Amino acid sequence: MLDIILQAFAAALEPMNLLFIALGIALGIVIGVLPGLGSVTAMAVLIPITFYMSPLAAIAFLVGVNKGGTSGGAIPAILLNSPGSPEAAATAWDGYPMAKRGEAFRAMKFSLFSSVTGDTISDLLLIVLVVPFAAFALQFGPVEYTAVLLFSFALIAGIAGDSPLKSGIGIFFGILLSTIGLDPVASTSRFTFGQLKLEDGLSLSALAIGALALSSVVIQLSDLITRREKDDFASNQADTKAGRSVSAREFFSYWRTLIRGALTGSLVGMLPGLGVTLASFLSYSAAKRASKNGDNFGKGEPEGIIATESANSAVVGSNLIPTIALGIPGNIAAALLVGALVMHGVVPGPFMLSMHGELIYGLFASMILANIFHLIIGRAGLSLWVQFARYPRRLILPPVLMFCIFGIYLPAQSLWDVGVMLAFAGLGILFTRARISIVCTVIGFLLGGMFETSLRQALLLHQVEGISILASPLALVFLLLTIAVLSRAIWRSQKESNKSA
Amino acid sequence: MRKLVQTIFILTMMSLPFAALADYPEKPITLIVPYQAGGSMETMARVFAEELGNELNINVLVRTQPGAGGKIGTTAASRAIADGYTLLFAPESTVLWPPIAENVNYSLSSFDPIIRVTDLPQAIVTSKSSGIETFEDLLALSAAQSMSYADQNSISRAFVDYIAMREQVVWVAVPTKGGGEMVPFLLGNKVNFAWSGGAHNRYLDQMNVVLSMTAAPQETMPEVPTMQERYGVSMPGGATIWAPAGLSEELRAKLTEAAITAAHSEAFNDLMMNTLGFPLADLTGSQLTAELMTINEDLAAIYEETAP
Repeated sequence: MLDIILQAFAAALEPMNLLFIALGIALGIVIGVLPGLGSVTAMAVLIPITFYMSPLAAIAFLVGVNKGGTSGGAIPAILLNSPGSPEAAATAWDGYPMAKRGEAFRAMKFSLFSSVTGDTISDLLLIVLVVPFAAFALQFGPVEYTAVLLFSFALIAGIAGDSPLKSGIGIFFGILLSTIGLDPVASTSRFTFGQLKLEDGLSLSALAIGALALSSVVIQLSDLITRREKDDFASNQADTKAGRSVSAREFFSYWRTLIRGALTGSLVGMLPGLGVTLASFLSYSAAKRASKNGDNFGKGEPEGIIATESANSAVVGSNLIPTIALGIPGNIAAALLVGALVMHGVVPGPFMLSMHGELIYGLFASMILANIFHLIIGRAGLSLWVQFARYPRRLILPPVLMFCIFGIYLPAQSLWDVGVMLAFAGLGILFTRARISIVCTVIGFLLGGMFETSLRQALLLHQVEGISILASPLALVFLLLTIAVLSRAIWRSQKESNKSA
Repeated sequence: MRKLVQTIFILTMMSLPFAALADYPEKPITLIVPYQAGGSMETMARVFAEELGNELNINVLVRTQPGAGGKIGTTAASRAIADGYTLLFAPESTVLWPPIAENVNYSLSSFDPIIRVTDLPQAIVTSKSSGIETFEDLLALSAAQSMSYADQNSISRAFVDYIAMREQVVWVAVPTKGGGEMVPFLLGNKVNFAWSGGAHNRYLDQMNVVLSMTAAPQETMPEVPTMQERYGVSMPGGATIWAPAGLSEELRAKLTEAAITAAHSEAFNDLMMNTLGFPLADLTGSQLTAELMTINEDLAAIYEETAP
């Protein structure tokens, strides 16, 4: 065993390999920072380059891009309140208030350090769990997925926005939007009005960037123009050392949140299909409940950033568990990795570890090394990004608006997607003014397709075999948790309305 | 003056095809793959494109245009100009089935097929832990109870339902999103059996192949019965390079020749045989066209019998 590990590190420490890891992380962060472009776009664009690399360098490079891209999305969320992708939406909740208070640098440091910590924990789990995991993943079928998703919806409704009822409305509206396109069972078109381009539904990135990023930029701009808010973001930024630094002691005083986030992210990442965004919201909600500063969440509490970023980066590593153990990619990023593996002659599937052990262990070693690079390169980048906090908002926001439009147009070169983004920016503004959480709609949309498919698969199986919920202990646990979360939310909101009355 | 302009115009137009051929290809060629990046179609396309490009001395760019089960990219390719600079790499079912069963603006006549590079080893599979080892086992069990199966698209469902109809058994289709979802459902015993497009080749230690949906028996497992011998029909399994209809004869010949070389290249063979486990095919020209016509008729017949 030891010689396999030593060999793996020897391969990973090749100068070319290190160079590509570093390059991947740097590119990933830069692309992740640009609004509208996330790690998936970055990987899709960069895959053809990996043709010319050795298999290990190619995979390590793409993993670097994925790591950098996932953490880079937090930067615009903190500095501009416009998350580059839905997974960083919860980062903006506490990151932006911190930045407004003048602690932009601190917020970004918390975010980066949490990302790297969460990622490292998840990489270690990947290495330990990859073999025994295979059996566990097979426990999850349609019934279990339906229960997990219901539980997630209940949790998210409880934390986003100020009323569980309004958040619930937001989520169900999102689920409704996700039914646009082909019916997953009958393959007939729904709500497409005869348009072929609607058969695949609305584009997630167009909807998310419009609703989350663009709407926030427009609201900020209009507040500046109408002078409802002063353009004092830059002058607020702290120049004292205490206002900028995060000591290791302060950071690790949040060790509970860090570990909880990393475990939440790793667990979600292990189950194919659930994804990065869900992990970040689940972790945020768990941290809010557990923390003694729970009431400060959403007002600039570092713990909120730590919970979100440690969880979403933890998905990156553990996502490879189903990929390597079963050959089943956990999400689009992992699917792109599988594609790259196949191109280099590696068969994804249950034999990957035995047939290409050298490569896989080399990849594990590269991932561990990549975390060190991530910390160094990410930290160097912060000094650059923080410069943007020094300029008046009126100079920063208009280019961001342009980036949103380019970012959505370029991948599919579709003006339709730009239109979808603009429409959802409008909806986002409307929802924000009505104090309904638009994030809930985005999540409902993101998970709605999977929820519908799992639910209908479960019903079809029930029709054949009469399988009931009671037959699955896993599903039962999640359904009971859902009921508990919902009744608690209702009980609390009644208590509050009694108090105010 | 007007005459002169006309003459020049006509002369230029006449010389265009020859000029185009003499210089073809003078700019990069786009190969549209109507599926997500990362799938086996895209992977095949990337390696094939590289080899085709080497042969033609030009870059062949792969553009993934996923959506609506391949219909979006296929529609885009059918609308492209037939100048040899836009090609499509798609399974034959993606080109043939939607015009029969759904509402699209293309059909077989919108394309000139160039080369079929592989026959996807489509099959009905069971998990080893289910104890269903042969197709007879499956039918015997189905006679006693209704069964669930993982299906992946409307064409696979039509063919499996056709078998159920002929055998008078109840099979309920549970839709899954491709092999990635089918595998865990089958191995986790969430469904009784599954239709597979080829993913099962990587799990042969855990799955039984009970019926091949292809016309000819599969090379690696000749003992498995085929749908063709049992029911007289088979699923279109070819993955083919297409050009928009209307390619000039010379252009088509040049492309076909380069495509044959690319299909026989070492890199492409290695990918197909050793990595993906898909058999190679190199059907071209009138033979390919004739076979596609037959498949098209079979599909229409199946649709007539299984349409709701």
